[in-house]
Amino acid sequence: MPRRTDIHSVLIIGAGPIVIGQACEFDYSGTQACKALKEEGYRVVLVNSNPATIMTDPEFADCTYIEPITPDCVEKIIAREVAQLEASGERGKLVLLPTLGGQTALNTAMKLDQNGVLQRYGVEMIGAKADAIMRGEDRQVFKDLMLEIGLDVPVSGTAHSLEEAREVAEKIGRFPVIIRPAFTLGGTGGGTAYNREEFEELARRGIDLSPVNEILVEESLLGWKEFEMEVMRDRKDNCVIICSIENFDPMGVHTGDSITVAPAQTLTDKEYQIMRDASFAVIRAVGVETGGSNIQFAVNPDNGRMAIIEMNPRVSRSSALASKATGFPIAKIAAKLAVGYTLDEIPNDITRETPASFEPTIDYVVTKIPRFAFEKFSQADPTLTTQMKSVGEAMAIGRTFKESLQKCLRSLEIGRFGLGGDGKPMRVGTELYPDRGELPKDLIRRKLTVPNADRIFYLRHALRQGMSVEEIFQITKIDRWFLTQLRQLVDLEEELATAG
Amino acid sequence: MLTPELLAKAKSHGFSDRQIASLTGCSEDEVRAERHRLGLLPAYRLVDTCAAEFAAFTPYYYSSYDRGDDEVTPSDRRKVMILGGGPNRIGQGIEFDYCCVHAAFALKEDDFETIMVNSNPETVSTDYDTSDRLYFEPLTLEDVLHIYHREKCWGAIAQFGGQTPLNLALGLQANGVNIIGTSPQSIEMAEDRKLFAAMLNKLGIAQPANGTATNEAEALEIARGLGYPVLVRPSFVLGGRAMQIVYSDAELQHYMRFAVEASRKRPVLVDKFLEDAIEVDVDCIADVGNFDNPEDGTIVVGGMLEHIEFAGVHSGDAAMVLPPHTLSDRTIQTIREHTHAMTRELRVSGLMNVQYAVKDEVVYVLEVNPRASRTVPFVSKAIGVPLAKLAAKVMAGRTLKELGFTGEVRRNYWAVKESVFPFNRFPGQDIVLTPEMRSTGEVMGIDADLGIAYAKSQMAAGSPLPLSGRLFISVSDAHKPHVGEVARLFADLGFRIVSTSGTAEVLMQAGLEVETVFKLQEGRPNALDLLKNREIQLVINTPSGQVPRADEVKIRSTAVLTGTPIMTTLGGARAAALGIAALKKSGYDVKPLQAFHGEHP
Repeated sequence: MPRRTDIHSVLIIGAGPIVIGQACEFDYSGTQACKALKEEGYRVVLVNSNPATIMTDPEFADCTYIEPITPDCVEKIIAREVAQLEASGERGKLVLLPTLGGQTALNTAMKLDQNGVLQRYGVEMIGAKADAIMRGEDRQVFKDLMLEIGLDVPVSGTAHSLEEAREVAEKIGRFPVIIRPAFTLGGTGGGTAYNREEFEELARRGIDLSPVNEILVEESLLGWKEFEMEVMRDRKDNCVIICSIENFDPMGVHTGDSITVAPAQTLTDKEYQIMRDASFAVIRAVGVETGGSNIQFAVNPDNGRMAIIEMNPRVSRSSALASKATGFPIAKIAAKLAVGYTLDEIPNDITRETPASFEPTIDYVVTKIPRFAFEKFSQADPTLTTQMKSVGEAMAIGRTFKESLQKCLRSLEIGRFGLGGDGKPMRVGTELYPDRGELPKDLIRRKLTVPNADRIFYLRHALRQGMSVEEIFQITKIDRWFLTQLRQLVDLEEELATAG
Repeated sequence: MLTPELLAKAKSHGFSDRQIASLTGCSEDEVRAERHRLGLLPAYRLVDTCAAEFAAFTPYYYSSYDRGDDEVTPSDRRKVMILGGGPNRIGQGIEFDYCCVHAAFALKEDDFETIMVNSNPETVSTDYDTSDRLYFEPLTLEDVLHIYHREKCWGAIAQFGGQTPLNLALGLQANGVNIIGTSPQSIEMAEDRKLFAAMLNKLGIAQPANGTATNEAEALEIARGLGYPVLVRPSFVLGGRAMQIVYSDAELQHYMRFAVEASRKRPVLVDKFLEDAIEVDVDCIADVGNFDNPEDGTIVVGGMLEHIEFAGVHSGDAAMVLPPHTLSDRTIQTIREHTHAMTRELRVSGLMNVQYAVKDEVVYVLEVNPRASRTVPFVSKAIGVPLAKLAAKVMAGRTLKELGFTGEVRRNYWAVKESVFPFNRFPGQDIVLTPEMRSTGEVMGIDADLGIAYAKSQMAAGSPLPLSGRLFISVSDAHKPHVGEVARLFADLGFRIVSTSGTAEVLMQAGLEVETVFKLQEGRPNALDLLKNREIQLVINTPSGQVPRADEVKIRSTAVLTGTPIMTTLGGARAAALGIAALKKSGYDVKPLQAFHGEHP
C-alpha cells in the first residue's frame, strides 16, 4: 500500500523533560520519526518542552514548538496549525502521532481525544487509535480482554478508593500484593506490599498519584521469570517479533531497574513459540493498528505457567534497547507504518536487500544494566521494587553472556571493570571490604534477598564464598542458567588469581 | 603462570585488562603489551539484523574475543572519533549526547569520516544513522584505544561527552591519541586549584577566597581563616557530588568524617561562600587554540544565563534566564571581558563554560570548564545558533571567521530554563535545592514576556502556577526581612495568605492580611492537613539552615506528593509572582522556534 496522500502535516508529541522512567530513549525515537516522515515529504510539526533533545533542533521538524506538553497548550498548537493549513490552501490534513513520546505524549493525546479537541479540529490519531490505547492502558479492560482471548493473567482488580482496594486484596487472599497506579510513567507510586500497613500506604499513594485516581491491586508474581517481547504490526495485519528480552532479575523489580538480556536465554524453542504467538494475539486483540508494542510476560519457574503482565501500545524504553540490540529501527519503521506503508514494503537499511517484514536474527548476546543514583538521595529507600528508580543504563554486546555481562559492567562507569577481581573495594555503610576479601555471610544473604543496585556483585561474593547455585536460586529465584554463568566467571577469576 | 591460553580464555570471557592485571599482580599496561605481543586483539563484528545471512551496509560494530572474523570494512578517509558520555546519570545526561550528535553531523559536513563510541542504548548518538561508523563499546581506555588504532583515526573528540571521556583524555594522549580541540593540559589547568588560581592572578580576575585541605584539621583551619559559611567539595567531580555549604566547625567536622574521603591525592576544596550572590553561567566558543598567536583568534559569548535562585544552588538544578534580567550593563561587560581573557589564556579551541558569582557589583569566577557544558543545547536553541556543531568544526581546524560566526547574538525574547527533579520517586527525601545536583532533566519556556516565559517553564516542568487561591508561606529567619515584600506581590495578585506563627507575625507587621495555621506539633488542622486536602494552591517554604527541621521537610515532600507547586527560594517566589501576573494579564500563546528565530515555518 502506498503512503497516505490525504495527510499534509504530522504532529508529533515528544516526551518532555528527562525524568526517571522517561529518558532520552524518546529523543531517539522522536528524532527517527521526524526524519522518516520528512523523508516521505510530510510537514512535521513537533512539540517538546525539552531543549536538550536533538529532535527539537530546528532542522529536524518543519515547525518546532518548544512549549509545555499540556492538553491546553497542545490544543493551542493544533488550532494554530489547522488555521495555517487552511489559510495556505494546500491539500491534506493534520494528523497526530502520539506513540513516540512515551507516556507523556500518550496521556496528552488521550486527554485531547476525551475533551473533544481532536474531533473539533478534525485531527485523526495515527499509529494507535484512542480505543486501542485505552484497551492497552486501562489495566482492568486489558486483563478482561486477555482472559477473553484465552491468555492467563495474574488475579487482580482495580480500585478507586481504599475501600475498594481492601476488597480486591481480600479476593487475592494473601500477601504480598502489587499495587500499580493507572496511567503513571515508569510505575510511579506503585510497589509491593508485604503487610496490611504497607498496603494501605501504597494504595493511598497510588490512588493519589494516578491521574484517573485508579490503581490495580494484583496477585504478586514475585520470583517468576520475566520476559518482554517487542512486536510490530502493520495495517495488513502482518506481525513480526523484533526481539525477545529476558530479565535477569525475576518479577518484583521494575524492568527498567533489572539487568536484562537479549535474546531470551532460558526459554525452550517451544516456550518461545508460545510467547511469540501470544504476543501476536495480544497486539491484535488490543487493536494497535500499526507500529510497535512492548508486551511483558511472567513465567512460573516451578510449573511453567505463563501470564501476561502488561503491554505498552507505543514505542518504549525497551524498544529503544531492542532497536540497538538488533539494528532494527523500531521507531522509524513505526512512523512509516503509521502513514500507510506495510512491513513488506519498507526496506531494511542495514541489508538493503531484506524488507522490514523479516524478523531480526542475532548471533550474539546483549546485556543491559541500569545505572542508579542513590548516593544523591540519602534519605531514599534503595530497595529495588516495581517502581523504577534508575536514572540511566548501559548496554554491551558480546558473543556470550559472560562476555557481554562483563563488558556491560565496565560500561557502567561506577569504578568497576567487570564482575570482580579489578581491585575495587566494596563499601557497605562505613565498612570497606577488599575486592577479594570475605564478606559476612549474613550481609550477603540479606543483599541477595532484597533486590538492590549492587546485587550482581553480592552474587559474585556469594559464589566465591562457597554458596551453591541451588542455594542462591532458592533465595533470589534468579534462573540457574544465569547463576551458572556467574559461577564460571568466578571460577576463572580464581584461576587467574592462582596464575598470577 | 599466566599462559597465552589462559589470557585468551579470560579475554573471551569478557575480562578487562584491569581485572587481569589486578588478579595477576601486574599493570594494565603490561597486560596490554603482552596481548599485543601475542596478537591477542578483539575482532569487530557487525550488528546486521540477520546473523550475517546477508551483507550489511551500515557499519555498526561490537568487539569480541571469540577469535572469529573481523568485519571492519577498510576506508582511508580522514577519521575522527567522538567519545560519547556512557550511561546517563545525574549530572551527565542527554545534553552531552546532544553535543556528540552535533559533532558527528558537523564533521560529516566537513567530509570527515565520523566514528562514534558509546555504551548508552537510549541515545541518538548510538543510532547507526548518526555517524559513519558506530562502535557500541564501553568507554574505557582499553576499549577506546583498540578502536582508535584499529580504525587508524586522525583525531578524537573528548570534550563533548561530559566527564567520562575527559577522564580518559590524558591516558589516551599518552598512548598516542590525537585529542583535538582545547588541549587536555588546558582542561587540567582549569581543574587544578593551584594552576587555576595562578592564572586568575595573572589576569587580575577575582575568585572567592579558598584553600585546599587533605584532612580534617587543615579543613578547620582554612574554614576559620575564611570565615563561615564555606563551600566544601572533593576535587574532580561533575554534578557537584558531595558538595555542601557549611556554616560551623561541627558541620565541617561531620562533612570531613562522613561525606568525603580526603587524602593528599584527592584533597577537599574549601571556598568562601558568597551569600546572596547572583550566579551567572556563560557558554562561549573560541578558535584561539588554532592560532599561534591567540590574539588572532575569535571568541564569541554564546549566551549568559542568570540564575533565578541565589548562589548555592548547583547550576544544573538552578532555574536560569537568558539574557540576564537583573544584571547591570557594567557587570555584563566585566563578565564578557573576563570570559575573553580566560578563553585566550587557556587557548580554547571549541567550547568553554564559566560560572560566575556577582556580589556588590564584584564579579567572581567560581569555575571554568573548557569543554561542552550541559547548557549548550539550551543556549543554542535560545539564540538560534548550533554552538556544538560550530565547535566541532573549529576543533577539526576551521576558524569562526570562516564559519561566519563572529558576533554575539541578541534576541528580543526571553528563554527560561527550569530543572525537573525525581523527588516523587523518593518519598521522604527533602527537596531543597543544594550545591549537589539532583535534577534529571530540564525544560525551556520561551516568550517575548519574561513572566510568560517563566510561567511556561513551570507548566512544562509539571507544576503550573496557580492564578488564584491560597498561598502558604513559611520562611527561615534569614529570609524574614524580605518575606513581606514577596508576600505582598501575591496579595496584590489576589492570593489569600496562610502562614504559621513566626512568619505570620512578620507579615502582619508588614501590614498584610494573614490566616494563621498550626505548625505540625501545635494542633490540628495544621499546614500538612491543608496541603493534603488541596486547600493550598502554592507553597513558599525556604529551609531553615543546614540541618532542616523535620516538619519543614514533611511540608515540602507533601507538596511534591500532592502536586502542589512549591518554591524553596525567594528568587523562585519572585519569578512565580511575575509569571502569575503576566498570565492573569494576557494569558499565553504558542509560537514555533523557527518563528522566534525569524523564519517563517
